[in-house]
Amino acid sequence: MADKAYADKSVLVSTDWVIAHMGDTANVRLIESNEDVLLYGTGHIPGAVHIDWVNDLNDQLVRDYVGHERFAILCREKGIGNDTTVVFYGDKNNWWACYAFWVFKLYGHEKCVIMNGGRTKWLAEGREITTEVPNYPAASYTARSQDRSIRAFRDEVLAHQQAGRPLVDVRSPAEYDGTLLHMPAYPQEGALRGGHIPGARNIPWSRAAREDATFKSRTELEAIYLDEQGLDPNAETVAYCRIGERSSHSWFVLTYLLGFKNVRNYDGSWTEWGNLVGVPIEK
Amino acid sequence: MTLEAIAEEFADVDDETRLELLLDYAVRLPPLPPAYHALRDAGVNMIHECQSPVFMTVEVTGGTVHLYADVPREAPTPRSFVSILVRAFDGQPAHHVLEAPDDLLYRLGLTHLLGMQRIHGLSAIYRHTLSEVARQL
Repeated sequence: MADKAYADKSVLVSTDWVIAHMGDTANVRLIESNEDVLLYGTGHIPGAVHIDWVNDLNDQLVRDYVGHERFAILCREKGIGNDTTVVFYGDKNNWWACYAFWVFKLYGHEKCVIMNGGRTKWLAEGREITTEVPNYPAASYTARSQDRSIRAFRDEVLAHQQAGRPLVDVRSPAEYDGTLLHMPAYPQEGALRGGHIPGARNIPWSRAAREDATFKSRTELEAIYLDEQGLDPNAETVAYCRIGERSSHSWFVLTYLLGFKNVRNYDGSWTEWGNLVGVPIEK
Repeated sequence: MTLEAIAEEFADVDDETRLELLLDYAVRLPPLPPAYHALRDAGVNMIHECQSPVFMTVEVTGGTVHLYADVPREAPTPRSFVSILVRAFDGQPAHHVLEAPDDLLYRLGLTHLLGMQRIHGLSAIYRHTLSEVARQL
């Protein structure tokens, strides 16, 4: 029996699709986004540009994203116009690719897709990589101001929590329990208190990915998010992690693969909530 | 090459050049001698703060420091930093290594380049290396 299609199957492309469309550089731009800033330089898909989540997407002074004007400059420099189809891929189950995807959506970019399986699958298939950095003619780009409908701020999260609406904590179980103040491998990104936002369910982000770094099927995802965890696709839902990157992966899964109507990513996440004075915490 | 010379190499260059320098160090990490493969494969002397498997064995013999390290090529940033430490410390007198500055990552311009979120694994590698030297001295 054929598996049930994703709610929006237009946001995922295969490595074969990329092979077929990578030559169309006037309309398609491949973007590699990794955790490791040097990884792109060791070899990437021919024609792909690099966007780094720290240096390109985060403001270095204020804790926020770069702002729509600087975002527009970034796109122009990478030869991305408002109509360009941007194809994100990267390391670690497309974790950072989803984060970049979310930031592009925040600034209203319409045609965003993820290459299913990311860097891992591309390399596992023995496909070509290069260290040659492409140069594209500057494009014209107009970015909208941030789309707040996909981003949650702390006061909104507090109101959401107090109204008893669904929250999804996508960190590891030990972070959720408050045993650990950080991801096992990321010591100093902690907070002064451990635990989770009261009422949040713990669904680690990586449960949505298969061994080969592709997303699980819709049926498998529904078994986790709907049947096991009881989330409601029609309910306003907030996802969070530690700084908002893992939860952008879950935001992608809930919004596009499962068709949830209203999911927001709380990028302040635990590094904000666990440091706030006076907010409720549960262990 | 001394640590001072490496720091000089990283000073006064732009971020793009600094990334190229790091990549170059990542490529030049000497292969782990076969005698250490078993230790690495057994998960001994791994730096657990790093998200990628970073193996670093520090030995001090007759007052001289020896570093034996391995980091996957898929993790070029920690690999480059380990390569810098090997180049600067391997074969050096222990007392000299222990004079290395606490704020090395800052001096190399990496704090700003990598961002706060990515710098911590590297700090852990550095702390592990220096504390192992001090412990064995």
